[in-house]
Amino acid sequence: MHRKVKMHITPDSARCASRSATMAKRRWFLQQCGLGVGQMALTGLLAESIGAAETGVNPLAAKEPHYPATAKNVILLFMGGGPSQFEMLDFKPTLEKLDGTLPPADLLAGYRAAFINPNSKLLGPKYKFARHGESGAQLSEMLPHTAGVVDDLCIIRSMKTDAFNHAPAQLLMSTGSPQFGRPSMGSWVTYGLGSESRDLPAYIVFNSGKKGPSGGNGNWNSGFLPTLHSGVEFRSSGDPVLYLSNPGGVDQTVQRQTLDAINQLNRGRLDIVGDPEIATRINSYEMAFRMQSSAPEAMSLANEPKHVLEMYGAKPGETSFANNCLLARRLVQKGVRFVQLFHESWDQHGDLKNGIARNCKDTDQACAALIRDLKQQGMLKDTLVIWGGEFGRTPMVQGGSDGRDHHPNSFSMWLAGGGIKPGVTYGATDELGFNIAENPVHVHDLHATILHLLGFNHKQLTHRFQGRDYRLTDVHGEIVRDILA
Amino acid sequence: MKKILLLSAIIPPFLFQSVCAAEIDFSRVIRPILSDKCFLCHGPGAENREADLRLDLRDVAVGTGAIEPGKPAASEILKRILSDDPDFVMPPPSTDKTISADEVTLLRRWISEGAEYSQHWAYVPPKCPDMPNVKNKNRIRNPIDQFVTAKLETQNIEPGQSADRVTLVRRAYLDLLGLPPSPAEVDAFVSDERDNAFPKLVERLLDSPHFGERWGRWWLDAARYADSDGYEKDKQRSVWFYRDWVINSMNGDMPYDDFIIHQIAGDLVPAGGQSALVATGFLRNSMVNEEGGADPEQFRVEGMFDRMDAIGKAILGITTQCAQCHTHKYDPLSQREYYQMFDALNDFHEATATVFTPSQQTQRQAVLDGIAEIEAEIKQRTPDWQERLAEWTRDETTGLVDWRTLIPTDRPFEGQKFRLLDDGSIVSESYAPTKANNTFSLKTTAKKITAFRLDALMHPQLPRGGPGRSIYGTGALSSFEASIAPADDPAKKQNIKFVRAWADVNPDKSDLPAVYRDKNPVNDSRVTGPIEFAIDGDNKTAWTTDNGPGRRNQDRHAVFLPETPISMSGEVILSITLRQLHGGWNSDDNQNYLLGRYRFSVTDNDAVAESNLSTAIETILRIDESERTADQNSQLFSAWRNTVSDFAAANAAIEELWQSFPDSDSQLVVQPRSKPRTTHIFARGDFLNLGEQVKAAAPEFLNSFPKTREPDRLRFARWLVADDAPTTARVIVNRIWQAYFGRGIVTTPEDFGFQSPAPTHPKLLDWLAVELMENNWSLKHIHRLIVNSATYQQSYSMTPELRAQDPFNTWLARTPRIRVDAEVVRDIALTASGLLNEAIGGPSVYPPAPDFLFLPPASYGPKQWRQSTGGQQYRRSLYVHGYRTVPYPTLQLFDAPKGDAACVRRQRSNTPLQALVMLNEPQFVECARAMAARVLRQGQQTDGERLSYAHRLCVSRSPASGELLILQTLLDQQRARISAGEFDVDQLIGVSPDLYQQLTGRSANELAPWIVVCRAILNLDETITKQ
Repeated sequence: MHRKVKMHITPDSARCASRSATMAKRRWFLQQCGLGVGQMALTGLLAESIGAAETGVNPLAAKEPHYPATAKNVILLFMGGGPSQFEMLDFKPTLEKLDGTLPPADLLAGYRAAFINPNSKLLGPKYKFARHGESGAQLSEMLPHTAGVVDDLCIIRSMKTDAFNHAPAQLLMSTGSPQFGRPSMGSWVTYGLGSESRDLPAYIVFNSGKKGPSGGNGNWNSGFLPTLHSGVEFRSSGDPVLYLSNPGGVDQTVQRQTLDAINQLNRGRLDIVGDPEIATRINSYEMAFRMQSSAPEAMSLANEPKHVLEMYGAKPGETSFANNCLLARRLVQKGVRFVQLFHESWDQHGDLKNGIARNCKDTDQACAALIRDLKQQGMLKDTLVIWGGEFGRTPMVQGGSDGRDHHPNSFSMWLAGGGIKPGVTYGATDELGFNIAENPVHVHDLHATILHLLGFNHKQLTHRFQGRDYRLTDVHGEIVRDILA
Repeated sequence: MKKILLLSAIIPPFLFQSVCAAEIDFSRVIRPILSDKCFLCHGPGAENREADLRLDLRDVAVGTGAIEPGKPAASEILKRILSDDPDFVMPPPSTDKTISADEVTLLRRWISEGAEYSQHWAYVPPKCPDMPNVKNKNRIRNPIDQFVTAKLETQNIEPGQSADRVTLVRRAYLDLLGLPPSPAEVDAFVSDERDNAFPKLVERLLDSPHFGERWGRWWLDAARYADSDGYEKDKQRSVWFYRDWVINSMNGDMPYDDFIIHQIAGDLVPAGGQSALVATGFLRNSMVNEEGGADPEQFRVEGMFDRMDAIGKAILGITTQCAQCHTHKYDPLSQREYYQMFDALNDFHEATATVFTPSQQTQRQAVLDGIAEIEAEIKQRTPDWQERLAEWTRDETTGLVDWRTLIPTDRPFEGQKFRLLDDGSIVSESYAPTKANNTFSLKTTAKKITAFRLDALMHPQLPRGGPGRSIYGTGALSSFEASIAPADDPAKKQNIKFVRAWADVNPDKSDLPAVYRDKNPVNDSRVTGPIEFAIDGDNKTAWTTDNGPGRRNQDRHAVFLPETPISMSGEVILSITLRQLHGGWNSDDNQNYLLGRYRFSVTDNDAVAESNLSTAIETILRIDESERTADQNSQLFSAWRNTVSDFAAANAAIEELWQSFPDSDSQLVVQPRSKPRTTHIFARGDFLNLGEQVKAAAPEFLNSFPKTREPDRLRFARWLVADDAPTTARVIVNRIWQAYFGRGIVTTPEDFGFQSPAPTHPKLLDWLAVELMENNWSLKHIHRLIVNSATYQQSYSMTPELRAQDPFNTWLARTPRIRVDAEVVRDIALTASGLLNEAIGGPSVYPPAPDFLFLPPASYGPKQWRQSTGGQQYRRSLYVHGYRTVPYPTLQLFDAPKGDAACVRRQRSNTPLQALVMLNEPQFVECARAMAARVLRQGQQTDGERLSYAHRLCVSRSPASGELLILQTLLDQQRARISAGEFDVDQLIGVSPDLYQQLTGRSANELAPWIVVCRAILNLDETITKQ
């Protein structure tokens, strides 16, 4: 029975389940935030029951998951555009042999492609592969740095998805649905686990690359979950968060004096009307003030040792994927729950060979450095790192001989840390890399597995909306137990 | 113990009343339990059904012995529920659902009372309920109070006190206008001692044009309004005419039934005109995906799903999404019924209409009248015009050439999609590149070709009907090329050289308009002009169909003559290439300049001669004289008079009139198809997986479609708002109620189905619904009733007892205290500062926003955000341009919906990012500056008077002495720091102190401390709270 109480995350039931916990948290919150609320109002607040009053609690307070977790934090390296598995993670010698020939007709029955006539010639891999590490995982020559940490990775070669256009497929990967309006993975995670940072948002998003995400902010939106579970966009140059800097002429003293006045006036109001929303507002202003110093501090690479910067290939002041990787590590270290790095550059309809080389140059070193760094800091064991895009690419050529179209049937990803079995290559595609040959992992399965690592039964992390209990995995998802450590 | 505690908290206390009352109401008490705990496997959905048991149907439930009426102990359902055996107990442990002891008690009593089923309350049309008896009649102002008081009396809760007049006037302004009252408006109301002062105020606010802005925005949430397409490219779209239509409809109190009918079927309403057509923008607020790989039909279907969802949430209060893929698991909506409704909507083209503002309309009419006048005058002074016209018509008809349509069998497969239509023409769809080079081929055994013809044709789905795909419906052809090759030796290709061309439109040579220019326009030497530009071998020149507003949207054609007639033997591959290189630089924006629909044809006629007859005139000439309409005859007259040299002066005058034809705007609308589509059930919601064909009809559990002979979509629209529609009126009054009280009488406004919580005041809900219908569906009538009720006018007074008795404010013994909507947050700051520009309607505006938001990698592609200048940037927030993927941060952070889907209940968050916006966002800072200047100008002389005035600008009430002291301290702190030279005054006031002094006659040092104080007041919780 006790287990049950803990497991109810759905707010309707959470309200009922943990009424006393709610009271306790409210008391904690009021004390922690040093609001100095008058005794009467405090009594009032505590007497205030559930419901509207619920919001008086810090909704981002850290929460326990369903069962002990192996991962506490997540860094999602979202390779937007759809990286080609054939040039990076899925070695297909037969495809190389059949380069220039047409695919078997029966393979194409019922297959729709986004841009090409499916009956296009096969295109062999553009780069050489070799085995690396003790695990002997096969990687292309474009990933020399990843090769160095390959024994920490679990490569999944048997990913599949349902959508083959960027926006729907990205949303499916980010939210479990190809349609807009569902909460993103990061939102579900902070909804379930809360935040461990008093000074920074629980869910932070970075963008780098040639373009922005096709699915836009739908990729980190909270959908029908409370808005404060939305990902907050940080930038690695300029103001890290929108409107973080004081306006011209307002120095720290003016800002502090102003906040003191605002808070005193709000507190006075709280004493009179006893609406706990006011207490939350005071807390919000205080956290905003703290963020004004903590965010730039967290985002400054100035004090990172040279060898760390070099390991990532990071250069302070630049906007780059490498900087974002290092920042992700710093933020997780400061208690940020979920960091999502979008690098949208992988849509190689043409210019495949150079495009892959360029993108790998921009990302390979930093990804490997992130794994290495997390490991050195002792953080990899409870930080789950996920690398991958929204879909894969066709074994068939697009255009002349240097491009590939979108392909939902098969693609590759890798995971590391947070309870993932290291040094594993899981699943396989057929000889042409067209379909999954063994151990298919649907996006929903990946989501179920991620939530499992974070301590959640994906079927029970739900939120009621429009008369239905929604979840990240909708009505699907099987945990991929073979890749759990 | 814990279990009991847990579950007793789930059941709202008012349900327990029914335990003690006479009969248990199945619809309100029992069905919610069965629905939530049992229906997934024992409900309407066949896919998951277990043991052939349905508990949603009494016959089945009783027939199978699951329920034995009158005999709870014998009923299988209770045995199962009470079992300890994990293999036997229901619901099974795997569902993670349990039935509480209280629920068991209810079920047991219900079964022993006979287990009667009744229809779900929401599916029975509302009837005017009996007025309840109340003891405390003093506070009854209208029936709303009677219903609310009756409930309070059953709960033993004392009704709240009336709010003070300052609170009341601010509340009414915020609720009805979305703007705070000025101190003068507050004073006027407070000092109005007449009995009817408040009702009079309400009437004044209901008549204010700002009412439509506030409540228009409220509807736009449900209508999922946004100014961009969504998805990847998220291009801008022109839909503000729809937004203004909503505002005007709210202001004019358009009856709600008409309001809905116009939005669903305005294009089909007899004599609806432009305004009814614009209303169909509701159906077009769906997102559009034009990323390169998108299948247009797939995303058209996604749009249809979205329309169904929006109608379900906003109008019907029925969640429909489940039934896209399978029969609804909880509600009695089958998949078949879903697609029957879908079919009613499945009959239109997604069109973009040319629309005119009133002044444009006037100017347009003046041009058309002027032309008609000159033409009348020509006729008058040319007595034999009819004979001469007839003769010309005969001559021209004889000269018509027969063209043979080429149907390309080999069409490009790429991002831009080419759909072949029945007449052999090709329509360009989905992604619209700004530079294109497309070849169309076919095999033919034709012997001879003397000329090629390209028709550029209109199509309902093209912008403004086409014939191009630019935002004006125009296109440009940089080069027209053709080649032939023997079918058995495709490599032996011969290019055809064209030496002459003519077309029915030949605009003057001109530079490209800004929208199509290169990133660096100075180096862009591309031009457009007459048809010769398509065969001059110069890709910098192009033929355009654009001959200015008024005449640019019509069928056009061009004829191309090869150097020598082409003679061929055997089968040849004939290829035609259209090079279209005159678009702009950004393919993720509306910068294409493509032809939208075209047809290729050839002739072997040796007598092809140059002609400037337009496509339209050719078409008319091919119609038998006796069958031509008056309009066609008048077109023939216009064509003829253009050829007559006697009329040169008149023709020139007409041409000049055309030059003064006004610019216009466009609006996404729907246009009925001549033949509606056939609709099939999509198995599992997959548009490629066609099931049974279905025809438009209403779901069985709702009222039936009206039996008129009108098109299905219009019948569907009338059905939605029929007087016997059980949910429609309830849903909208509930949503109005929610806007005032923070929560609806049904707390799930989008869902009145089996899974919805029972209404807290069912009779009040029905009474309001009936009031709405009986008062000609007047929404203002409902607003008036609510705002004039004593219930609305209560204060926010909280006692520990009340808090314990009614934590959620379910019973309304107090007013709610809620943070205002995102738009109102910003509008309050603009109003308090005096910066607000009160203009109503018009194109969306672009207040300051950081540039990087609209550039990669924050945005998928570069987006336009041309910051509005002057007063435009201070327009109300509902006019701020809304990109779906990059929403305006200030509004987004305060929970404004993005328009991705219908939203009938906003989140109301309270976050640190909101604090950063209000403290630091440039426009908020500017408001603080302007407000400070206003306070110095208008707030009398002493600090105290000025502080009080500033306070009143934001929260309407005067500050208490303690509050005044806090503000005075802040003010003095700043003065001290300025004296000490610690304060960067220039930076804060934003202009040089000298300039400021010169402009205002005041010193910057005087202003600066007030900016700090005003910024603080603008940031108060109370400033953005309605109480």
